Formats: sequence, structure tokens, C-alpha cells
Amino acid sequence: MTGPSETLALRDLTKIFRIKTGTFRHADLRAVDDVSVSITPGRTLAVVGESGSGKTTLARLILRLIHPTEGLIRLEGTDITRMKGAQLEEMRGRMQIVFQDPYDSLSPWQTVGRTVAEPLILHENMSMQDATGPVAAMLERVGLSPEHARRYPHELSGGQAQRVGIARAMITNPALVVLDEPTSSLDMSVQSQILLLLQSLQEERNISYLFISHDLTVVRYIAHDLAVMYLGKVVESGPAAEVFASPRHPYTEALLKAAPRPDPNYKTDYVHLVGEQPSALDRAPGCPLYGRCPIAEEVCADTPQELVEIEAEHRVACWKRT
Amino acid sequence: MSALLELHGLEVEIEGLPILRGVDLEVRPGEILGVVGETGAGKSMTARSILDLLPAKATLSFEECTFGGEDFIPARARQLARGHRIGFVPQRPRGSLNPVFRVGKQIVDTLRRLRGMTRKQARDEALNLLRSVRITDPERVYRSYPHELSGGMCQRVCIAIALAGEPELIIADEPTTGLDVTIQAEILKLLGEVIAEHNAAGMLITHDLGVVADVCDRVAVMYAGRVINLGTTVEIYREALHPYANQLVSIASSLDSGGTPQEIPGRVPNPGDELAACAFAPRCFRAEDDCFQQEPPLVQIEGQMAFCHHPLTSEVVSV
Repeated sequence: MTGPSETLALRDLTKIFRIKTGTFRHADLRAVDDVSVSITPGRTLAVVGESGSGKTTLARLILRLIHPTEGLIRLEGTDITRMKGAQLEEMRGRMQIVFQDPYDSLSPWQTVGRTVAEPLILHENMSMQDATGPVAAMLERVGLSPEHARRYPHELSGGQAQRVGIARAMITNPALVVLDEPTSSLDMSVQSQILLLLQSLQEERNISYLFISHDLTVVRYIAHDLAVMYLGKVVESGPAAEVFASPRHPYTEALLKAAPRPDPNYKTDYVHLVGEQPSALDRAPGCPLYGRCPIAEEVCADTPQELVEIEAEHRVACWKRT
Repeated sequence: MSALLELHGLEVEIEGLPILRGVDLEVRPGEILGVVGETGAGKSMTARSILDLLPAKATLSFEECTFGGEDFIPARARQLARGHRIGFVPQRPRGSLNPVFRVGKQIVDTLRRLRGMTRKQARDEALNLLRSVRITDPERVYRSYPHELSGGMCQRVCIAIALAGEPELIIADEPTTGLDVTIQAEILKLLGEVIAEHNAAGMLITHDLGVVADVCDRVAVMYAGRVINLGTTVEIYREALHPYANQLVSIASSLDSGGTPQEIPGRVPNPGDELAACAFAPRCFRAEDDCFQQEPPLVQIEGQMAFCHHPLTSEVVSV
């Protein structure tokens, strides 16, 4: 499954958080559970799921901001799972992130120019003087003017601040950019500007995107591949068009049906799931959806089903649908 | 059809900054009107004006407002209508419930204040209300504190409280924003059903065009403190007259169908920015000199109205 042709490959990636439940007691929360996905150059993998599904933990694991409990992370063929120190610092230039809230993710005390130059200074040992040229070029590329380098974040609109976030992520020419809900705090007219920018940057530089979102309209537009997460597990994955057209897992089905679409003739539907997503602590040993699933049987309660390929690249983890 | 709520020339200023610059809209009996727009367009301020929930520093003026055929003074809505004639469903359900009281008590207090019920009557009615928002175990929820309930459950409770005064109009301000998609669908469906069951009308404030398409009968599109386009949901989604409304819908539909969205250049103006005669003119692909100099006229075609010098009438759209 892994090879140098893949920008990112995860194998059985797991993160367990130990939660204190009493003075001498604790419980294990499997925030990310046995996740194996990969992204090839120039493609976008969207990870969708509701709050608490482990999307953001997955992103933080990939970027090595937190340590995985088990599993393997490979970036451009190099195992970075246990990488440390200077080596990791150098690797960080190859993987960058754009955050959800453009204001919170920019330092209010630093000028835009300094913020965008920082990755070059940190990962490529450039001086601020040397960085000025590349920074100006990058700002122009993301639709700002070089004069913006002297501004502070509070002088920018939401869309402009997000452009700065993108410039900062792109300046080291990374192979992988994690986009954590990059448009969800933006207005609709600005949202489309940012999506178009991200897309043209991807085409130009052959970057791989890991796009985290709960907005299925945006995902439908930008994703090549899709992974659906529920309580830390990938329950379905495959080419985005294929999964949107024929979802197999009951959770994917419920999620897609419930998502409103901007068409007055289309009515959403929900019927499917019982109750609400439980805490990952109370999960059944079998399928994470057990207890809410309308088609569950006994086997689903205790025996977890692995992702099974049902069509080219389309995988689903469900006893009833494989 | 006579309108349930009619607003004309509603203006709100906060510390000298114009927030609403003459809002005209009407809500008809039995319908759900969607109010959409981007940040700062004045959606929430319009709702707050009607509910007399404006910040203390705000000054409000209007030409004419009526509710149920009678004169309506937004500044006195608190005494006249809020609660009993107009119900409100908030954006952050958990934040709007009092964390130190049980849910049941909060509904009972509302019922006793609005409908003068005895404790016993109010308790029975509270359980009925919880049942009417499809809560399967009303007794347990009645005894719960807000923190013991999930977000979706808290929003059901808020809807029950909004229904407590038997209102004629229910205003919901982004009622599903913090909720997960699968829960959002349930809450929206519920809201539509209870509004119909109680013979009320609804006003749904949202920035999500998918939500509007799903539940609203008519849509008011706001931009820079004004309603610039109003029509049935089908009209607005198929052939909106105003270029802004038209582009907004087309961006949403092209994203949805995987097509490349059009780009609206520039950004939404902030309150206090200097505006052209038509506030959208600097970003509009159809703008000409008159848009910058003269107030845009009211255009009415079938059920739709828009303020625009160069509306996208069907002849133009088909070109």
C-alpha cells in the first residue's frame, strides 16, 4: 500500500488518550483508531465526520504535533512516525497546515510579512532579509499585494487573513498541506474565492491536500477522495464521486441524506440514526455505529469489521454491506 | 393575502454606525420566511429589532410596522409580543438555558408568566410541550439540568419554550449552527412541523443556502443592512432578479454540483464604510454609472421584488 509515489501514507494509525475518571481510575479514549489512508501527489483527500469523530486529532498526528500510540506515518516515502529534532524540523517544511480561524492562527503582534517568512526562517535557515523577496511573491500569488507585508492581522478582513494563512503554508513549497475547515468561518462569496485559490495552487504545484470538513457542499466540490470517520474509525473511503453517488455504510448514508443542498426541489431526510453520537468512551467493541444503526445485527455488537474493498478503491467497514 | 408581520423602512444605528439602512419585509401567515445574507448584512439585527433585544446603545426608527394587522412598535415588543405572540429560538441553545435550574422549571416559569397557569397546569403543559418537540422521555428531560442534555436535546427544549406562549410567529436565529449535520436535519424538520402544527409562521435566519432551500417558502436576501431581493424560494433559486442574490445562489449550486463557482470580487462592506448608492455596485458585474449615483429602484416581477437598476429579468438571463 505504501510507496514513494504516495505523498502521505498512514498505516493502522491509532491515538489513545488516557482520561482520568476517578482518583485511581482511568479510561482509554480511542480518538483515532486503526486509520489507514493515503494521498497521491496533486490530489485532495477529504476527511468528513461530525464533531468528536477524530478528524482534527488525525490531522495533529500527521503533522506530528502529538505522538501516535501505534501505527505508521510515511511522508513521501520517509517514515516520520518517530522522527525527532533537526530531522523533524526539516521535514516540517514539507508538511504545512491552514487553520480554521484565520485570525486566531495569526499572531496579532507580528506583521503579515514576518508571519509568512517564519517557515522559511525556521525550516530553511533563511534570514528575514533574504525572505523578503519570496514573501512578496507569495503574497501576490495568493491575491494580496506586497504592501500587505507591513500590515497586522487586525487590519485584514477574514478572507485576507485566510489568504495570509495559505501564503504561510505554501511558502516552503510543501508536498502536503492539511486544510482544517479552511472556509467554514468565511462568508459564502469569500469561501468560493478561497476554494478557487486552493485549487489553482494545487494544480500549479502538485500539492496533496488533506481537507478536513463537515461541510459536504464544499467537500463535494474540492475532494478527489473521501474518508468518512465515525468515533475515530474510518467507516468508508473511496473516490469522492463514487462515495457520494452510492454510499454503502449506513452512517455515510445518513450523513449524506441529512446534508441540506441548495436546491428547493431537494428535501433532506434523516430517519436513519437512533439518538446522537455517544462519547468515544462508551463505544461498543464491534462497529462504532452499533446502537444507532438501523440495520445492525448481533455480529455488529462484538466483532469489528475491517474496511473491505467492494469496488475499485471503494472500501466500507460494515458487516451488512460487504 | 394580508401579512402577519410587516416592516417598512426599519433603521438601526449603533453609536452612529448604520447597521440596518431601511429594511422592508413581510412574513405571511403560515409561511416560513428565510432571511439570508453574509456576516454584517443585518440578519440578526432585524430579528433583534422585532424582539426588542437590541443592544442598549442602539437607536431604532421605522416608517411603518404592523403585526397581525395592528400597529407594531418594535421598541415595545417586550411588553406587547415577545414570548406570547412572537417566540424565539436562539443560536446557542445551551447558552440560552439557565445552567442552574432544571429544564422543567424553566418551562414552567415561562408558562406561568405568559399564560398565568397554576403550578400543576404548567407542569402538565410543560410535559406536553416536551412531547410535542418529539422528546421520547419527557419526564427525564423535565428533571434534567441543561448540561446533562446533548446540544440537539437543548435545542428541542428551546423550541418547546418558544412554543410556550402559543406564538403566532416563531423567529429562529441560526438554530442549527453548532449542531452536527444529522441532528441539524432533525431539528429543521421539527421546526417546520411544529410551526405548521401551531398554525404559526416562521422566520428563519441563516447563512446556509442549503437550509433555506430545505425549509423556507420564501426568502429575503440581505446585503449591507437592507433586504435587496425577496421572493419565493423557487424564484430566488431559479431566477433571482438581483445580481447579488443570483450569484450567491449560483456559487452554492455550482459547489454542490462540483462545477467551478463564479467569483464575486471584493468583500462585504463593514458598517460605517462609505457606500455607493447601491451598496453592491462596486462588486457587481452589471453595475453602471447610475448604480453608484442613484438609489436603486424597486423592481417587481411576479412574486419577486428587488432593489436594482439592472435586474436579471428572464430575457437577460436567457442570453
